[in-house]
Amino acid sequence: MKITVAVSGINTIDNPGPGAGICRALKESGMDIRTIGLAYDALEPGIYLDHIIDKSYIMPYPSGSREAFIERIKDIHSRESIDVIISALDAELPIYMDIEPVLKDIGIKMLIPSKEMFRLRDKLRLKELAEKIGVKAPEYMSCTSLTDLHNAVNELGFPCMVKGPFYEAYKANSPGEAEGYFGKIASAWGYPIIVQKFIQGDEYDVIGCGDGNGSDLGVFAIRKMTITKLGKVWNAVSIRNEKLIEATKRVVKGLSWRGGFEFEVLLEDKTQEIYVLEINPRFPAWVYFPAGCGINLPARMVQLLTGQDYDTHSDYKSGKLMIRYTNELVKDISDFEQISTFGETSEKGE
Amino acid sequence: MDKDKLAVLAVSESGFIFDPVTGHSYTANATGLKILELLKAGKEPDEIRSVLLDEYDSTEDEVSVDVNDFIENLKKYFLI
Repeated sequence: MKITVAVSGINTIDNPGPGAGICRALKESGMDIRTIGLAYDALEPGIYLDHIIDKSYIMPYPSGSREAFIERIKDIHSRESIDVIISALDAELPIYMDIEPVLKDIGIKMLIPSKEMFRLRDKLRLKELAEKIGVKAPEYMSCTSLTDLHNAVNELGFPCMVKGPFYEAYKANSPGEAEGYFGKIASAWGYPIIVQKFIQGDEYDVIGCGDGNGSDLGVFAIRKMTITKLGKVWNAVSIRNEKLIEATKRVVKGLSWRGGFEFEVLLEDKTQEIYVLEINPRFPAWVYFPAGCGINLPARMVQLLTGQDYDTHSDYKSGKLMIRYTNELVKDISDFEQISTFGETSEKGE
Repeated sequence: MDKDKLAVLAVSESGFIFDPVTGHSYTANATGLKILELLKAGKEPDEIRSVLLDEYDSTEDEVSVDVNDFIENLKKYFLI
């Protein structure tokens, strides 16, 4: 049975989206899957990765007209008979949460969180979330002005973390540094800026997928070995930390989480206590790493959505290393012409 | 001493130590590796001192300092 899966977030740039990793995991799953890339820009690298993405289409921005977004999906669906869409970008999740019933009516299935789940994992509601899942949250204050910033650093002390609403986080050791980072982040990403108490420790991530009924389709934990300036993991090692795995399972159960997610935590050096930093409501960019270690979450998600049997085990080896690298493709300008003029790539071999 | 933690530590012949719980890795010299292997085999610090005294040309004080320091370092890094 051939299954057609449309995947967004195929922007494998320095702040990589998860789409290419999802498609690679699906292609290596052993299932007969046709992958469709949903891009927002003609230069998203995934468009040109013919070995893992069979065909790509340009989508209207999710911040624009809802009708135009739906119409574009219907147009692609009329030609591709999409079975499943895997949304992999935070910015488009709200519109997909809105239109999921419409998509269901035309035969397209998704496994995404509800609006309530999405609300609970907001960076500004960390305390509420931490209480719900029985871990700690670093103290933090939300700031929309320099006055707020001064109040926050007086309250939380130095060093502290100054974090953007979406990306970037810096450790500030003085009021001057905090003001500098505040201005830098605000000009790039807007408000609110979050000032967070600094906890000495290491950052860990767990990827998982919830079935929406309190059970998970598998989880996989890593320690970030190196991260980029935007805070994205670049190299990582798989770990087996039962406290962390149990906390992750409490997230899935406590929120009845539906869909892929990334649970970002910090383990305090002194106490080894878990502090929740964030829950990203989709698969992270390193989604291929667990797939390469036997926990193929995109494949399990597709199997669940299409009524097939799927594994739920989390049996993987610790000490597996993920090395991310950059690469270059050589393509023809006609490939760019095709996608930028017609909004879609040619069929392979055409 | 956290014997469960000690049991899961991956220690190679080269002295490379991988902690699968935290993902940290370390390198021990030949003496450190010997102490760690003996700890993993269930030996107490006094027994380890005796083994090292038999195997190395060192005084009792030197061996005691080495064993104590190494065990303190293992504790500091939550390895035992």
